[in-house]
This record gives sequence, structure tokens and C-alpha cells, in this order.
Amino acid sequence: MVSIALQLILNGLIAGSIYALVASGFSLIYNVAKFMHFAHGAVVAFGAYLFFAFSGFPWPIAFLLTLIVTSIIGLLLNYAVYKPLRKRKAGNAVMLIASLALLIFLNALIIAIFGSDVKVIPLASQNVVFDLGVIRITAVQITILVVTAVLLLGLWLFMSKTKMGKAMRALADNKDVAQTVGINPERLYTTAFLIGSGLAAVAGVLVGLEQNLNPVMGTLLIVFAFTGAVIGGLLSVPGAILGALILGLVENIGIWWLPSGYKEAIAFTLLFVFLLFRPQGLLGKKMRAA
Amino acid sequence: MAITGYLIHLGVLIGVFSMLAVSLNLAVGFTGLLNLGHIAFFGIGAYTSALLSLAGVPVVFSIPIAIVVAAIAGAILALPTVRLRGDYLALATLGFAFIITSVSRNWIGLTRGALGLPGIPKIASPLGMLIIVAIIAVILIALVKWITTTRFGKTLQAIRDDELAAKTLGKNTFVHKVGAMTISAAIAGVAGALFAHYLTFIDPNIFALGDLILLLAMIIVGGLASIKGAVIGTFIIILLPEAFRFIGLPPELLGPVREMLFAFILLIILIFRPKGIFGKVDV
Repeated sequence: MVSIALQLILNGLIAGSIYALVASGFSLIYNVAKFMHFAHGAVVAFGAYLFFAFSGFPWPIAFLLTLIVTSIIGLLLNYAVYKPLRKRKAGNAVMLIASLALLIFLNALIIAIFGSDVKVIPLASQNVVFDLGVIRITAVQITILVVTAVLLLGLWLFMSKTKMGKAMRALADNKDVAQTVGINPERLYTTAFLIGSGLAAVAGVLVGLEQNLNPVMGTLLIVFAFTGAVIGGLLSVPGAILGALILGLVENIGIWWLPSGYKEAIAFTLLFVFLLFRPQGLLGKKMRAA
Repeated sequence: MAITGYLIHLGVLIGVFSMLAVSLNLAVGFTGLLNLGHIAFFGIGAYTSALLSLAGVPVVFSIPIAIVVAAIAGAILALPTVRLRGDYLALATLGFAFIITSVSRNWIGLTRGALGLPGIPKIASPLGMLIIVAIIAVILIALVKWITTTRFGKTLQAIRDDELAAKTLGKNTFVHKVGAMTISAAIAGVAGALFAHYLTFIDPNIFALGDLILLLAMIIVGGLASIKGAVIGTFIIILLPEAFRFIGLPPELLGPVREMLFAFILLIILIFRPKGIFGKVDV
């Protein structure tokens, strides 16, 4: 009983870490550029598939190539689609529709290039299981926990200590004032997409190692990450990360009572409830309704 | 013969999707409610009529009941969400569609999950079905057109343009918005029920996320708040990808290339012509 409980909590933390990695990039872009980049999920999926495609190389090189190409994809999306839309002062709803269209586009592109069958990254076969008596954990899962912790700490340091990070927070708080003091929004949007897509690449590689690849993985991941971000507070990067961890835990502990197929339903119900009753999330500042 | 069957199928698709597009336009274009969960009402209509008729209920009753159930689902979704800010409403309705999809996949006892429901009773031959769908589509499109000219419909457009002003004039904007969503959902339910009896097989893929982009593309390409636009948008979006069938694209690429095309058209319109072909309002 205790062992099952501990295992479910551990599984929740691992799932939550992945959501947190996806949510942190999404939330960073949302805060800086103020729109919901749903295609972020497809960027994560591209990370996973690129790592699979590069698996002929030794893994550090494959990972580096994945990181570079995935970041370029993220930058391209911003440059080719979002920037022209911002230029014509498109509203939130339009940006949302555009990001969903991009998500569908990229998902279909993955199917066209790689096919719709499930793929396995060869490196995943070298995974080892550690049996600690009460719980079992794999080398990949330990990597997920450690890498996530390190990257999120790094993101926090970047946002709070560096000049660039502070400029991003200023821009997130008040665009007009930020521009007055000489902050160039487009440059920061580019940086946010670069960092966010880099985080997406890491998330994609880790998910790919943990769960194998399928073309719709990105859609599910972004919905979960987004739900986590709403729970924790969309307007706060730490909130989004906290919410993602909570979602991972709730989902995995929820399986105790509900069949595992209902994982998604649990997440969407939480999303619905938070959007209706606490749209600012757990850590978010109170927003004006309507 | 094969070519006739193919043309009839395209005709039914256009009929069903033009009902969906015009009803979605009532919520999105005329009322300004960015409902991303419209496909859920379509699926609810399809599943309700399919399950009832499989249980022995005659189609003359199962379809009207399906319409009522879809309308109730529309009202239930509208009640808490129409107060939300634009993009939050979009996300809550998208979440609703995901919940309904998840239930259809997992409530095996009712829906048989991913196995789907085979053997749904036919109403008519394919040609007969095309005629039925066409007649009902024309009636419903005319109905929506008429609604937009009534006092109720004018109020919806006033709410879209300036909700505060509509309120100041003493309009109950909440009731109007819920009403618009309910009517919109009921029509989607008609489309879903007819489609289920035409296909005779449905599964949870009827709620596909890709179809959401398809529907948005139809109303945005044609132009928001234009009935003519939604119908022409439906023709364009259904017929355009059919061209790929004849250029010898490998069959496994047909699906993804079609989705990429829809998404691409939608993006191009959003960037370069936000009013669509016939639209009066910006997206």
C-alpha cells in the first residue's frame, strides 16, 4: 500500500517535471509576448522526432543537433507567422487560432515526414531500472528529474539576475513603459522563442526516451502543460511550473480511483474549473474579469 | 458508378459541414463568442441518435432527441462560459470538447470506446440521403439567415460590437449569448445525427481536433458574420483538397497533406485578409 502510494507520487513527479518543462517555455513566451503559443506542443514533438532522426550520431551530438534545429523551428514560427500578425495588431483570439492552425500544421508535417506509427528511440533500449525496494525508478526517469530541476533553476536565475531576464519581466509587466526605457520588444520576443523552444527540445528528447514517439504527442503535452500553467497562474512562470507539477501528481494519484484512460478527463476538468472560478491561477495576481 | 458514389459523398459532406459552419458562424461571427468546442455538439448529436436508434428507437424520434440533447449541451456549456473574456472562453470551450472526447473514448459501457458504433440504421440510399441533407441544410441555413435579421439577431450583433452599449440599452446580453450558443449547438446536433445515419459507423474520431481547424477555416475563409461566406467557405475547404486525389499523391500522405493545406490557408487568410472573402468584421 505504502509502496504503491510512493510509486504513484514518484510517477506524478516525473510526469509533472515533463509538463513543467513544456509549461515553462510556453509560459515564458506567453508572459513576454502575451499570446498563447499552442504550437509549442508541436515544437516539443519535433524535438523528440529530430532526436530520433539523428540517432545515427553519438547521443551528445544528436542532442546538440536536436537542440539547434528545434530552436530554429521555434524562431521560424515566430518570424513567419506571429510577427506579421503582431504587425497588423491582431487580437488575442486571432493569435490563438493561428497557433492552433500551426499546431495542426506541424503535427501533420510530422506524419508526412515520419509516418503515423509509433517510433522508438534506439537509446531508450539502454535504459536501466533501479529497484529500491519500495519504489522502482529508471535511469531515464532520474535524468528527467535532475535535468528539469537544473533547467528550471537556470531559467529562474536568468529571469531574476540577468539584464535580459529583467528586461523580459519589465516587458511582461508593462509594454509601453518598457519601450520608453529603451527595451526593444521584438528582440525579446526572439529571445523568448529561442529559450522556450530550447526548453521544448529538451522536453521532447526526455519524453521520447520515456514514452516513445507518436505524432500527436505534442498536442497532448501542450494541453497538459497549458492546464498546469492555468492552475498555477498563466501570468507567472514559477506558477506555471508549480501548476504543472500539481497536475502531474493529481493525474497519477487520481488513477487510484479512476481508470487510467480518464487521466485526460481529469486534466481537462481541472482546466475548465480553474478557467471558470480562478482564471488567475494559484499564484497569479488578480485579473480584471471580462 | 464509382464516380457517382464519390460525388454523392462529397455532396453529403458539403451539406453536413455547411450546417456546421453556418451554425458556428452564428456563435463566432454574429455573436462574437469564439467557441472552439463546436465539434463536441456535432459528436453529441451523432452519438445520441446512433445509440438511441441502435437501442430500437425509431429514427423519427432519435434525431429530434439528439437535437434536444445537443441544444442542452450547448446551454450547459454557455451558462458558465459566456461571461469569460474572449480567449478564456475559447480555451474553456476547447477544454469542454476535450472532456467530451475523453468520455466518448473511455465510457466503454455506453460508447464502446475506440471500437466505435457499427450498424447504425440507414435512413435512405446515399442519393436519398444527399437529397435529405441538402433540403435540411437549406432550411437551417435559411433559418440562421432569418434569425440574424430578427430583433434577437440584431441584438447578438450589437453585443459582438459593443457589449457594454447593448447592456446600457437594457438588453439582457447573458440570455442572448446563451440563446445563440443553444441554437448553434442544436444545428450542429442535426448535422451530427444525419451524418451518423449516413455513415452507419461512428467512433471517437468524430471529435478530431483537425476538424476544429477545418470548421474555423470554413468560416474565416468565407468571412465571419456572413452566411454566404460560410457556405462558400465550406465548398472551398471540402473541394480544394480533393484535387490532391487526382495528382497521384500516395494515399498515406493524403490525410496529413490535407490538414497542412487547411492550416496553411487559415494562416494565410489570418495574415493577409482577416475579413475573409465576404466578411464584414475582422477576425
